[in-house]
Amino acid sequence: MMDFYQVGLFCTLVCVVISFLALFRERDDIHKILIVDLIETVGLVLVCLVATDLAEALILPGLVVGISELLMLTELYIRKERLPLPAIQPIRIEVMQTAPPIITFVLVVYGIILSGFSGGAVAGIGLVFYFLCKGYEERFALLETISGYAWALWIGAFFIFMIVPQAWLIAVMLAGGAILVKVTTKMALIGTMREGPDV
Amino acid sequence: MFNLPIEGEELFVLEFGDIVNYFSLYTTTLFLFALAFILMAIIARPERQTDIVFGTDAVYIKEIKPDDLRFQRFMAIACGCATLGAVCSGDLFNFSLFTALIGITNIGIVASVNNRYVLNAAYNYGIVAMVATTFLFGGAATALGTCGTLSIWELAGKGMVPLAAEIFLVLGVMGEGMAPFYIAKAEITRAPGAPYVLMIHVSSLLIFLRVIEIILTV
Repeated sequence: MMDFYQVGLFCTLVCVVISFLALFRERDDIHKILIVDLIETVGLVLVCLVATDLAEALILPGLVVGISELLMLTELYIRKERLPLPAIQPIRIEVMQTAPPIITFVLVVYGIILSGFSGGAVAGIGLVFYFLCKGYEERFALLETISGYAWALWIGAFFIFMIVPQAWLIAVMLAGGAILVKVTTKMALIGTMREGPDV
Repeated sequence: MFNLPIEGEELFVLEFGDIVNYFSLYTTTLFLFALAFILMAIIARPERQTDIVFGTDAVYIKEIKPDDLRFQRFMAIACGCATLGAVCSGDLFNFSLFTALIGITNIGIVASVNNRYVLNAAYNYGIVAMVATTFLFGGAATALGTCGTLSIWELAGKGMVPLAAEIFLVLGVMGEGMAPFYIAKAEITRAPGAPYVLMIHVSSLLIFLRVIEIILTV
């Protein structure tokens, strides 16, 4: 009897072959991008099948590379076809005027309590919601600077782990706080994408 | 691992746990080659192209300022740095990542030319590069699944890596290293961008040489 890994490998290869057939038959450029993304995602299953801690750590870079290539291809497509940027009318809903402060406050406080990566994501979602609904002023440089310093602190915490392992508590605190700030600021930038020429 | 014929003698070894970045005679040669071209991209001014006026002896020289090619220059230097990483990494997955990065920066170099045909070629190369990434990661993952490690240092000379993984890696590098073909197709060599376009050819050549070394070693 074949073991689980080999069965999974076989199924994945069948999926890859099917998506390749789709790619060869497809003529439309924008559909090609979507199918290539499908192939990439199916390819990541090959990494997932290994199912160890190391494989888990390899998924993230694989995803990041895939997403960056997808973004690049779509930007290239927009420039190639000389597509105009759509002019979007912002939606006017009453909830979007009143709800943001309190929901953002709750999410940010909860994020700070959680701390670390997930806390950063929660607080970031709060800020995304706020910026989306309330608009923003141009403070990108400030957000980027904060994010950069937080990243440096995070890397510094890793050096503390490696060089002085006795001081693990301060390293954990440093890394948790820094990643909280970094993820929050990065995600807050998403909320500013609704309008404005500089984004 | 340095008794294998392809590597030559050991020059420098940098250990990070089981991942060992090594410089043999072979990889050092590749490293220095890439370094030379990075320096060239840093110090070189853009080439000034000439146009011959038809029917006469007159020649126009186009004025191309360094500012016009800022993005292309940055991408060329980034591509060189990715190549440096790819030729000296001692880990199959890092090699795959750096090779994927070379693909992305290659497209950056080509895509800064604002010409429909060039952009079309860049787009087609982008699709090939994205598909190739699947093979690269698939190859590294298959090697990890069967051998339990990704370190070239530990796999060297044992012949444990299955043939399928090696074929995947070579296919992936073929896809990423196909950029010069698309450059010829789009005739980007005629568009302004020399000498930065050269980096595409250099990186493609070096990742091919490096993957041959990896295949013969593991």
